[in-house]
Amino acid sequence: MTSQNGEAVLEIKELTKEFGGVQAVNALSFKVFKNEILGIIGPNGAGKTTVINMVSGFSPSTHGNIIFENNNITKLKAHQIASLGIGRNFQSSFLFMDLTVIENVYLAFHLNYKSKIWAQLLRLPSVRQEENELKRKAEVILEEMGLSSIKNEITRNLPHGYQRMLGVCIALATQPKLLLLDEPMTGMNQNEIQIMLSLVKGIREKGITIVMIEHNMSAVLQLCDRLIVLNHGQKIAEGIPQEIISNKFVIEAYLGKE
Amino acid sequence: MLANKLSHNIKTISFFVTILILAIVPIIVKSPYYLDLIIVTIVYAVMAMTFIILLKTGLVSLGLAVFWGLGAYTSAILVMKLGLSFWIGLPAGAIVAGLFAFVLSPFLLKSGGITFLLLNAVLGLLFIVIIGNSTFLGMYTGINNIPEVDPIKLPFLPVIEFVSKIPYYYLGLILLIVIVLVVSAFNATKIGKAWTAIGLKPRLAESIGINVYRYRMYAFVLASAIAGLIGAFWAHYEGFIQPNGFNMWMTNYFQLYAILGGIGHGIAGPLLGAAIMKFFPEMIRFTQQLGNIITGVLLILLILFLPRGILSLFDKKRKFGEGFIFIRNWAKSSFTINRKEVKK
Repeated sequence: MTSQNGEAVLEIKELTKEFGGVQAVNALSFKVFKNEILGIIGPNGAGKTTVINMVSGFSPSTHGNIIFENNNITKLKAHQIASLGIGRNFQSSFLFMDLTVIENVYLAFHLNYKSKIWAQLLRLPSVRQEENELKRKAEVILEEMGLSSIKNEITRNLPHGYQRMLGVCIALATQPKLLLLDEPMTGMNQNEIQIMLSLVKGIREKGITIVMIEHNMSAVLQLCDRLIVLNHGQKIAEGIPQEIISNKFVIEAYLGKE
Repeated sequence: MLANKLSHNIKTISFFVTILILAIVPIIVKSPYYLDLIIVTIVYAVMAMTFIILLKTGLVSLGLAVFWGLGAYTSAILVMKLGLSFWIGLPAGAIVAGLFAFVLSPFLLKSGGITFLLLNAVLGLLFIVIIGNSTFLGMYTGINNIPEVDPIKLPFLPVIEFVSKIPYYYLGLILLIVIVLVVSAFNATKIGKAWTAIGLKPRLAESIGINVYRYRMYAFVLASAIAGLIGAFWAHYEGFIQPNGFNMWMTNYFQLYAILGGIGHGIAGPLLGAAIMKFFPEMIRFTQQLGNIITGVLLILLILFLPRGILSLFDKKRKFGEGFIFIRNWAKSSFTINRKEVKK
């Protein structure tokens, strides 16, 4: 387990998001340390996905700063943030539905091309070699995630659980240093959740830091090193899972006051 | 892997066979009238291809004809007022149209989708009004007597004079082949793959590090440069241009050709669509005034039953009668394109 004295990969300072007059996220501050799995939990509408959208550049913040590896990325666009090494998946199955599984991953290698565009236009042998290399890499990712048996299926026809896993594969193809997972286990059956648990652990073992939103508490307790609890856009608790589940405010937020 | 290679070989072979067949067309078709129809088909098909290049990135333009006209006017002015050769006017047409698209990109592309469509329509109207009121550009009456293409003088070969339709046909064919090769080369690169991703899901494309604005700009500049190139050829082939010849109706026709042939097939679709729309009315000319009605009814039926175009008959997966659903969805989402239609 990572100690809190470690190096902060991501630092969020006083982050606020207002939609009209409503504050979806209110002066939220927290740090994410290298190679940890940080869980963000909270009731529906607590602002969890908004946080991920702000960090990944999909939704501009109203106030506050986001620091990633000592760079202020608050004002950057989504594609710039992706190229700095923050990968994300999406809550719903948000994939290239008409392509095959392997094509989905292969397309996501956009940032990995080294060869110049003129060389690609002329289809030089070095370019073909690079493409084959990337195709092989895509197969490796699918193999690690246990999807290689269905790599030539059209994504639309896949069961929901596989689509969620493919979403993570696409995010992994961008070679992220920090991976933001938005409810990776929603709608999965118990069996699929077990697979997903070991996959997320495997991703962390590769040295990738993970921030995860999840509703499934048993999964969260098994996986996460630390937890942050949000309610009405504010942080109401932060700490190791054992502390959190006995925290009075957290129980109130989930179950209501007595 | 093997199947991939095989289909790649089939593609290459069919490409060369098609070129061979097209190369011997003037030997079979002696009538200048039909040769003219074929040349016009090539020009219109190229314009329909520019529609698909943009559509692939999720953009619909109502101003395709503007860039076609820009190329035509650029070459005509350079040749007639500055006395330059057509062989300078031709690339200049492409460069001016491409540059124009590049300069306009920040205004047209920043807000994407519907803004792009409408601002392009405005551009189409401005183009006609500005040229129509400029004496230098020939007002609404246009420019007459644009000189024919300069003769080609090659060593050891007889001089090729552009006096009959045949050399024009071959020049148009060469331009078509060059354009097809350039577009396919782009599609195979990182840029082409980014286009596919953007056309399918722009937000997902962003999340994997694709700069949507920049890659849409590349598509816009490429499509416009191609339109400018074929426009320059068109000006010298027709010998006469006027601003209203580049109005929005022409753009609509180009879109129709692409949709009729099949927007999933970026090259064969436009060629087939343009060929049908040029030759079919000729074949049913004996019906006189009824001809337009027959063409119209057939078009409606085709789009209802084959919304992905005639070439979708040869696609592997196809649902019959999906046209009605397609039209309903289209009407529902009014201007957001049904991205399912854009295959890679």
